[in-house]
Amino acid sequence: MTLAPTRGSKRRAIATPAVARRPLGFFLALPPIILILLFVGFPIVLAFAFSIGLTGGLNHVIASIGLNVHEAENWWGTPAAYIEVLSNSRILRDLSVTVGVTALSTVIVIFLALGIGLFLKLRDGRMARLLSGLAIIPLFIPVVIASWAIVTFYSGDGFVRSVFAQFGVEAPVWAFTMVAVVIGSVWTSLPFAVLMITSGLQAIPNAMIEAARDAGAGFLRIVVSILIPMAFVPILIAVTFTAIGVVGSFTVPYFTGPNAPNMLGVSMSNYFSAFNQPQQSVVMAFIVFVIASGIAAAYVWANFRSAKDQGKV
Amino acid sequence: MTLIEKIHSTTPTHRETDAGGSRGLRVRGLHKVLGGRTIIDNLDLTVQDGELVSLLGPSGCGKTTTLRMIAGFLAPDAGSIQVHDREVSALGAEKRPSAMVFQNYALWPHMTVVKNVGFPLKLRRLGKKEIEQRVDAVLALVNLLHHKHSRPARISGGEQQRVALARALVQEPELLLLDEPLSNLDAKLRVKVREDIREIQQRLGITTLIVTHDQEEAMSMSDRIAVMNAGKIEQFSRPAELYSRPETEFVATFIGSLNRIEGSLVNGAVVPGDDVIGIRPEDVVFTLHASFDARPAVVERVVPHGHFHEIYLKRDDATLRAFASGLPPAPGDRGHAAIQNALTFRQGRLVTTGGVAL
Repeated sequence: MTLAPTRGSKRRAIATPAVARRPLGFFLALPPIILILLFVGFPIVLAFAFSIGLTGGLNHVIASIGLNVHEAENWWGTPAAYIEVLSNSRILRDLSVTVGVTALSTVIVIFLALGIGLFLKLRDGRMARLLSGLAIIPLFIPVVIASWAIVTFYSGDGFVRSVFAQFGVEAPVWAFTMVAVVIGSVWTSLPFAVLMITSGLQAIPNAMIEAARDAGAGFLRIVVSILIPMAFVPILIAVTFTAIGVVGSFTVPYFTGPNAPNMLGVSMSNYFSAFNQPQQSVVMAFIVFVIASGIAAAYVWANFRSAKDQGKV
Repeated sequence: MTLIEKIHSTTPTHRETDAGGSRGLRVRGLHKVLGGRTIIDNLDLTVQDGELVSLLGPSGCGKTTTLRMIAGFLAPDAGSIQVHDREVSALGAEKRPSAMVFQNYALWPHMTVVKNVGFPLKLRRLGKKEIEQRVDAVLALVNLLHHKHSRPARISGGEQQRVALARALVQEPELLLLDEPLSNLDAKLRVKVREDIREIQQRLGITTLIVTHDQEEAMSMSDRIAVMNAGKIEQFSRPAELYSRPETEFVATFIGSLNRIEGSLVNGAVVPGDDVIGIRPEDVVFTLHASFDARPAVVERVVPHGHFHEIYLKRDDATLRAFASGLPPAPGDRGHAAIQNALTFRQGRLVTTGGVAL
């Protein structure tokens, strides 16, 4: 009988530090949590209050400086600013351009990244490695510089038109059009998507592909039925990150896009500083936020699915 | 006969073709160089229709490379591969009449068991009903109907192995290839699954080639075994013959246990010489009393192996290992050891067995 209590106390002795460590871990995590709450969370709450017309307290100064501010007459606020923004045809055009550019850029980026990834997986060679290496380059070139390069390349007196003019051909001017914005968005988003999708495809064991070939599957069948479903989670992560990045982009559309309609990031900036209508600007920000949350939900779902596939959930 | 008919028939269809008829697999002059090293050196191999043959050898001997070339995943530098007298070496893996079971099973994790097994049939554009029938039949054969809708990650290793086998069998291949099919299973399961594979292979009469490094596995499953070493087949014969009449010293040492002694055997005693003699431990008999052609021996060590003991014996001419059942002697015991049978090799090749010159 003497053995049992000894064992019990031993176990307790081992268990105690683990219990004591728990609050310690919490305290260690506290500084970044406080930092985020204070410097990000709190301004978001303030901005949301401002967007629904709660202009008292800390929002008082910006409300009195800004033009065209909708003020609430009761404590729960008013949707007046949202109604104004969502019935403004100019902003609605910006919104549809934003969604369109995001969708098109994402499709192009994923298509290119998949192409490079599949090339690398199925025909591993110098050419494939060179391509995947080249695709990473935009990561090391600041977006401002790349945007200016795109503008000068496609402008009225730019490189493309100059070259075509030599042969008497009139090339289109793409600078300051949505085409340049899409090109710029693809340029900035490609590296991450290539890294993500390439590593996702590389992680698939070759035996999976060989088993499919053995079963009689050709190239297209292997890609559609084996590789894409097996790399589905990394592909979806690349899709969400690309889409969220493009939907909230500013530099590329600001430098390479037209005056109007342009993407909401640029509109937001115009409304905030040039037009001095901060409330409308904040409302647009929340609209972009809602779109991005929708995309983020897909990301969370993808992670959940992968955890489920691995039997963790 | 279709697969389903074969599954339901009770008579074994093993070797139903007439003698000397079509050959299941015929490999001639297979050659492969990888990275400047000759992996497969002018290899010939013929597997009869309905026969189960093992490619057995140590790691790096080229057995898996050979299998991959036969399956079509690797192009040979030279040589011909014929399945049922049809040349297939120019075809890609997807066009060959063979089906393979992979070492790590290679089940697609995003598909259920049914979808994994049905995939090859889906590619052949068979009707939904026919696919369902054939998948059900083959899943019943490997006893996995209850896991039809499970994902591979949710079933055990042995069950995954059977799914991989079912996926190969459902294609009704002319040639079944298995790459170390049992190496990822634990010892108990390995014995059970190898019996299952053998039983199914006999029932369906499929020409089968298995790659393995496990001699016990090869011995217990195969009609014939091809022992490979350094890209060549050293010996190709029945399991019993491989053990009792190994043609080369390599085969003798690779298969089973062997006392390898340099010298030759004269009147039951080892005398120094250029030859090599190989004595199976069960052919060394230890007794406490003297007998004809036995020599005095001292027990040095006794290693228990469960149902038998391995005894290390020191004689004046050699140190020998013997297998003994029953009550073992103790280290230090003195007695007599006799060599009842021996293989003699000259320059690596067998010249006499049991004192009979070849």
